[in-house]
Amino acid sequence: MPALRYAYFPGCVAKGSAREVEDAMRAVVKALDIELVEMPGAACCGAGVMKQANHKLQLTLNARTFAQAEAMGLDVLTPCATCQGNMYEDLALLLSDEKLRAEINDVLERTCGMRFEGELRMRHLLQVVVEDVGLDTLRDRVVNPIDFPVAGYYGVPMLQDGASGDDDPMNPRYFDDLLAAMGSTSVAYDGATRSVGFPGLLGRERTAMLQTAEVLSEAKEEGALVMATACPLSHFNLDVYQVKAKKVSGRDTSLPVVHLPELMAFSLGLLTDRYAQLRTRALVMGA
Amino acid sequence: MSENRGDSMSVIAKVWVEPDCITCNACEDICPEVFKVTDDSSMILAEVRADGTFDMNDGAKSPLTGTLGADLADLIVEAAEACPVEVIKFELVESAAAEAAPAAETVEAAPAAVEAAVAPAAGVSDALAAVMGGDRSLTVMFGSQTGNAAGLAEQTAKMAADFGLQAKVVDMDEADTSALSAGRLLIITSTWGEGEMPDNAESLWQATNTANPALAGTHFSVCAIGDTSYDEFCKAGVDWNDKLAALGATVVRDIQLCDVDYAPPWKLWVVDALSRIACVDASGNFHETLVEEMLAYGTSSDDDGIVDGDFAPASVVADEMSITLRLFRYDPVGASSGFDSVACALPGHATLQNLLEAVQGDLDGSLAFRRGDGNGTPTTALRANGRIVLADVARLDGLVSDGGTLLLEPLPGLPVIRDLVVDTSRLERQRAEAKPWMRADPRAGERLSNGSTMGTMAAGDATDLHRRFDAVSDLAAHGMSDSTPHDGAYLGPGLLTRLWQRASDPRCGADQRRDLMKVLQQEGGMWSETDLSSIRRQGDDGRIVAEAMLDARGRLLHEFRFAGRSGRHVKWFSRTVKWSGNLNETILAAQTMGPLGALMNLPATVRMATGFTRTGGPLARDLQGFLAPGKMPKLVNSVVDDHHEVKAIFDALDRRF
Repeated sequence: MPALRYAYFPGCVAKGSAREVEDAMRAVVKALDIELVEMPGAACCGAGVMKQANHKLQLTLNARTFAQAEAMGLDVLTPCATCQGNMYEDLALLLSDEKLRAEINDVLERTCGMRFEGELRMRHLLQVVVEDVGLDTLRDRVVNPIDFPVAGYYGVPMLQDGASGDDDPMNPRYFDDLLAAMGSTSVAYDGATRSVGFPGLLGRERTAMLQTAEVLSEAKEEGALVMATACPLSHFNLDVYQVKAKKVSGRDTSLPVVHLPELMAFSLGLLTDRYAQLRTRALVMGA
Repeated sequence: MSENRGDSMSVIAKVWVEPDCITCNACEDICPEVFKVTDDSSMILAEVRADGTFDMNDGAKSPLTGTLGADLADLIVEAAEACPVEVIKFELVESAAAEAAPAAETVEAAPAAVEAAVAPAAGVSDALAAVMGGDRSLTVMFGSQTGNAAGLAEQTAKMAADFGLQAKVVDMDEADTSALSAGRLLIITSTWGEGEMPDNAESLWQATNTANPALAGTHFSVCAIGDTSYDEFCKAGVDWNDKLAALGATVVRDIQLCDVDYAPPWKLWVVDALSRIACVDASGNFHETLVEEMLAYGTSSDDDGIVDGDFAPASVVADEMSITLRLFRYDPVGASSGFDSVACALPGHATLQNLLEAVQGDLDGSLAFRRGDGNGTPTTALRANGRIVLADVARLDGLVSDGGTLLLEPLPGLPVIRDLVVDTSRLERQRAEAKPWMRADPRAGERLSNGSTMGTMAAGDATDLHRRFDAVSDLAAHGMSDSTPHDGAYLGPGLLTRLWQRASDPRCGADQRRDLMKVLQQEGGMWSETDLSSIRRQGDDGRIVAEAMLDARGRLLHEFRFAGRSGRHVKWFSRTVKWSGNLNETILAAQTMGPLGALMNLPATVRMATGFTRTGGPLARDLQGFLAPGKMPKLVNSVVDDHHEVKAIFDALDRRF
């Protein structure tokens, strides 16, 4: 039985339009002896959007998810930087404000018959691999080293004190270290920690496109052939809206963008047909 | 509307431009009445000079005509401060000494607390020596809107050591009423608006009026700064003076009222007040017969009794650090930019300003940056290793480890004039247009003697406002956003937060609040920020700003009924979560963008649905979702287990969805 067990919170995008995240996650955790315990009742984290209208509503939905994980006696693992940042923030708030926690628990008890005590942590895949699995373990299991330069993109919601684990949220290193363990050359570029404006994508598209273009073009200028993102929501901007970002900004944004679990799966010798697709795209689109 | 700017600057006698002007136009933008920038240099206009000549005025130093020196003093000082190469000089009416810009002259600023115990020198009488024994603490409290009163408080505290006192400077914002019970208390405060307390004094003033503490053991004096051109001259200081006396405190020196040229009367007051309050012994007895001897004792060490910053900051001293400094440089003449790398060794407690001064002094005198007074000057904001900080207070050891690299860049989101100096004129114009100040339109409150009304605020409200909006500076907040560099119309987090603060202020009238909410909702307002996370991650100040913006958005959604794309985005996001427990991206995109928007966005939609750029994108499933959203929830938007619980939470907390 695997030593590492987590309650699994994939996030809505991984369950919906970006199922490749799910596919890769299943493969990666198996290769790294991690057990993911499903949370079929967990609802959307609100992504920082719902709380604009009603923060207590979002807090209560997340408290319900926390209570479910707590009942399993497990920390929560997510592959999504937005879920991680958002849920970490709500968890920290509920733990620090006793009065608020009591109020949310009251609603939770009336509506769902459950309570949340705070006996869990929110973890992102990146932190779990670096802090729990260990980079040496990962390095030992790499079958297909990623032999091209990759630009890591974190996803800003996760880059806050505490939400990034033991990493420095202002000058993070985890992605670089992880890429090095997978055999890749990590590309240093300013945009790695900058927002691509996903929350404003539908409301302030032009600004979000300019932000996206800046991140993509900087990564490309610094020599990246591929970008890997720890945030499936940012992936929308970076991949789906890549052409639009180029049109709006006039900058070179053509760069294959994959999800972090996918790149990890490729390095571990999994999903090899997809890895072949990526290498072809990198050759065509890259530098 | 009038603003009784009690903290405003002195009257300027002469202004001139020294050689090496880089013709950046900043001075002319700020004060076109005085400065005209030619191809070679900034010039002083002929019509404002007594000699009627148009040149730099650096030779003749011809005086300003009429009342221009008073009328334009603030703008001239602002222009001097904004000058990246500091070639704009001016002379005050009474000082008769050429001064550099105030930002430069206050480099050696005092720390907030002074702990310099001074033992009585030999030669004093036994009686004076007895008075100077025991507890010698003095509280110097300030109420300040623009920082001038705070600066005077610090200078007062420095001078107190000469009178054998151990002074502590206290910001009224950080004090409760117990601080007024200090045995020896000096208050320096400006007056704001229509005789109102400065913002940082409001909470303490309200609390004092509520608690009415007994102050029989307190000896005090007040120095009030104001402007005689307004009806309520020095009202805040007068109010404090009267209130403390009414509560039983003893006046050791009559209140000093200072006009806009506050330095001379303050100098009179500070020596007098210190020599008198220093004659209060540890038991709380005032020895008036010793005042003359104390005056001689306290002023014997220097000519005018004014001590400039000449002591070490009262901060923890850290070991020396060796770092590599990567410094952004921009030369406006050649329009070239890049980074300098410099190996530096400084103590860990040195500030970024100390570091920049060392580089400027030892390596490159052309380095341009803004100096502050050492107390968190907003204009010193810059980006250091990704963090938005104020250079005059940010310590090296808080930003970089020994042996590490420190990257210093100008504040993002604003045009760079030179090196680390950014042009804030656009932001200032936007601020002026948005009118964030209190408007004297009809509102509830107390009626003043001149017949106008003054808004009032309960102590709890004042404290709450400060808690919610007490961030580092509007300018720094502006630089925290990742959106501001890409949206010229965006007013930015700093200004918007200030507008929301004003709209949340119970003293704000209904007309003004309506105007403010309109600005917050419209183009360039609160919805222009694409990602609050980029602001939130900037430490405590970032969190305060992001929370304030979130709060404002909640209010806007309610008052404007989820109007506009951003409103629809929040509404449909929440609705789809209520329906299934999960977000349905397809419905969200279609409802937020509307039919036309969705059509215009077809290429991106197809790209998303087909997933052809991705590895293993589920083409068939996504196409089904695109063509018939909501029809196949099990396929594209499965319902979470126990979905009725999710629905019950929505029903319990928010039925708008």
